[in-house]
Amino acid sequence: MTPPLSMFGKFKAALYKNYGENPGTMLVHTGALGWLLSSLAQIFAVAVNDKISPEQKSFLIPQEFADAAINILSFYIVTSSFKNFASKLVSTGKLSTKSIRNALQKQNVSNSVIGKLDFNIGKLKNTPKDYKPFKNGVEVIASTIGSIASCNIITPLLRNEYAAVRQKEIVSKMRSQNEKKQAGPYYKYSMADFQNLSGGNLKI
Amino acid sequence: MTSVRTYIINTSLYKGVQKSVRYVKQKGLDVMPERILSGEKFIDGIKYIGKNFSSDKQRVALGLTALVTQPYIDAHNKRVDEQTRKVSVAKTVAKIIAGTLTGFFIRYGCIKGIKALSQIPGKNVPKWKTLFTPKGIKDNTTEAFEQYRNAMGTVAALVIMLFTNFLIDAPLTKFMTNAFMKKMEDKK
Repeated sequence: MTPPLSMFGKFKAALYKNYGENPGTMLVHTGALGWLLSSLAQIFAVAVNDKISPEQKSFLIPQEFADAAINILSFYIVTSSFKNFASKLVSTGKLSTKSIRNALQKQNVSNSVIGKLDFNIGKLKNTPKDYKPFKNGVEVIASTIGSIASCNIITPLLRNEYAAVRQKEIVSKMRSQNEKKQAGPYYKYSMADFQNLSGGNLKI
Repeated sequence: MTSVRTYIINTSLYKGVQKSVRYVKQKGLDVMPERILSGEKFIDGIKYIGKNFSSDKQRVALGLTALVTQPYIDAHNKRVDEQTRKVSVAKTVAKIIAGTLTGFFIRYGCIKGIKALSQIPGKNVPKWKTLFTPKGIKDNTTEAFEQYRNAMGTVAALVIMLFTNFLIDAPLTKFMTNAFMKKMEDKK
């Protein structure tokens, strides 16, 4: 078994290797990890809560999993798509700066390869000096726009839709139970249940 | 494991999907107009963001834009009754404020902390100040090393926030939601 210190050393080396040159990727991965950890914490809180009955837990835990899946998938897919597309724009030369383009001309790079997936400025023998910092900047901006779109627009819309559907299901379930028991108004569950569902996880 | 991967990569289905994805990507690139940026200040701004815009600043950007979009989305959710919408908006605003405040300060503090604990080993540097320095690093001024510090600080912050999510965010959100609700009721 690998000793903990050696594992920590490997972890540091892996972070340095994977994110040292790619801040945009780091933001996407740590963002997704943040959603994952907050979801796990939320599920753990439900699982260890004594005030919640086992029957309720059997509903709430899968519900938290579903909520987590929506959050993580929408975040990862949207944010990484934005980032990857922006990255391709820069690496194929479609989005460039004057100094990068001048450097390409000096290396006799034909205009016909600009914007083609096979072409990658980062793989040229003499990568223009400005290329990496410019690409990092574009990637960070794109991943931030992507995360804003996913966290602040797409996820709330999806979650509200999901919550409304679940709320209807819960209300009808409560109604049928109450009809059987002939006791208590069903609508008292509506607000709290909606809040539980629509609130989602606390984004960390 | 490798042989399974090789098998999947060589299937005609995989190759077909890969070809289609590549076709869509190329079409997406073709649609975009070619742009050559020339404004030095603008380009420097982009480079500056790439170098300095770490996860703490991204959290603030997310929080500020969330304050504009999320309450609007909740307030216009026609699938629930008006009272539910009001509570939903109050809770969303409270959650954004609490989450952004703790998210920013913890990330900021952790990135600073990791910076202090990832010094380059030397005669006058205590060992504990090199705890987070990867092996073989000789220069702490490179961009790659700065980005590593941001990444490590963000990971440390995420671990801390596993706890603060419940210890600070959840009670603060509850407190602010109740305060906002009370204010709304007082206005009536």
